[in-house]
Amino acid sequence: MHNRIKQLRAKQDLSQLELAQHVGVRRETIVFLEKGKYNPSLRLAHDIAKCFRLPIEEVFLFDGEVGEKPGE
Amino acid sequence: MKKTIVTFVISALIVASLALWALKGQIAGNTQEIVMAGIVLVLVGFAVTLGVSRLRSHLRREPGEDELSRMVMIRASSLAYYVSIYMWLFVMYISDKTTLAAHSLVGAGILGMAVIFLFCWLGVKIFGMKNA
Repeated sequence: MHNRIKQLRAKQDLSQLELAQHVGVRRETIVFLEKGKYNPSLRLAHDIAKCFRLPIEEVFLFDGEVGEKPGE
Repeated sequence: MKKTIVTFVISALIVASLALWALKGQIAGNTQEIVMAGIVLVLVGFAVTLGVSRLRSHLRREPGEDELSRMVMIRASSLAYYVSIYMWLFVMYISDKTTLAAHSLVGAGILGMAVIFLFCWLGVKIFGMKNA
């Protein structure tokens, strides 16, 4: 699974710490997610997507979906 | 915060016990005891590092534990348990071939389990849990 957390964070000018505090996890968890070393729980994925005001499928992409537009 | 304080207190007690052990003169000159004391110190260092990490999270107003840290612990523990079974098999195998007393072998085995856990934890931290 891939994610666009880093790009979305840069776009919204959010630091890793700020995002971590928004969703109630440690900064290290955001680092792991951005590096693709950890797949989040559904709850955390939902909270992160909510923080970016986007649907989950636009933040987290499965391997086959990389390069596709969400909803295709 | 409670867990952090407990970690530091237990680490301090272990270091104090090691100091007493050294003061009684049982460590000096005995290679086996020196190696054991060294391993215990490494494990205490690991516990202190975890404690400091939790303390820093607390100072940054982050939770001391979250889903990732819990998953790392669960994955490292299960991996360490799996590897430890083979270590105990090896200990049983060498128990007939060595002159070491049974209590020394058991002590070394317990220390070995802690070291295996440390390596599993490091492995999970370095390589992550992509397929978790």
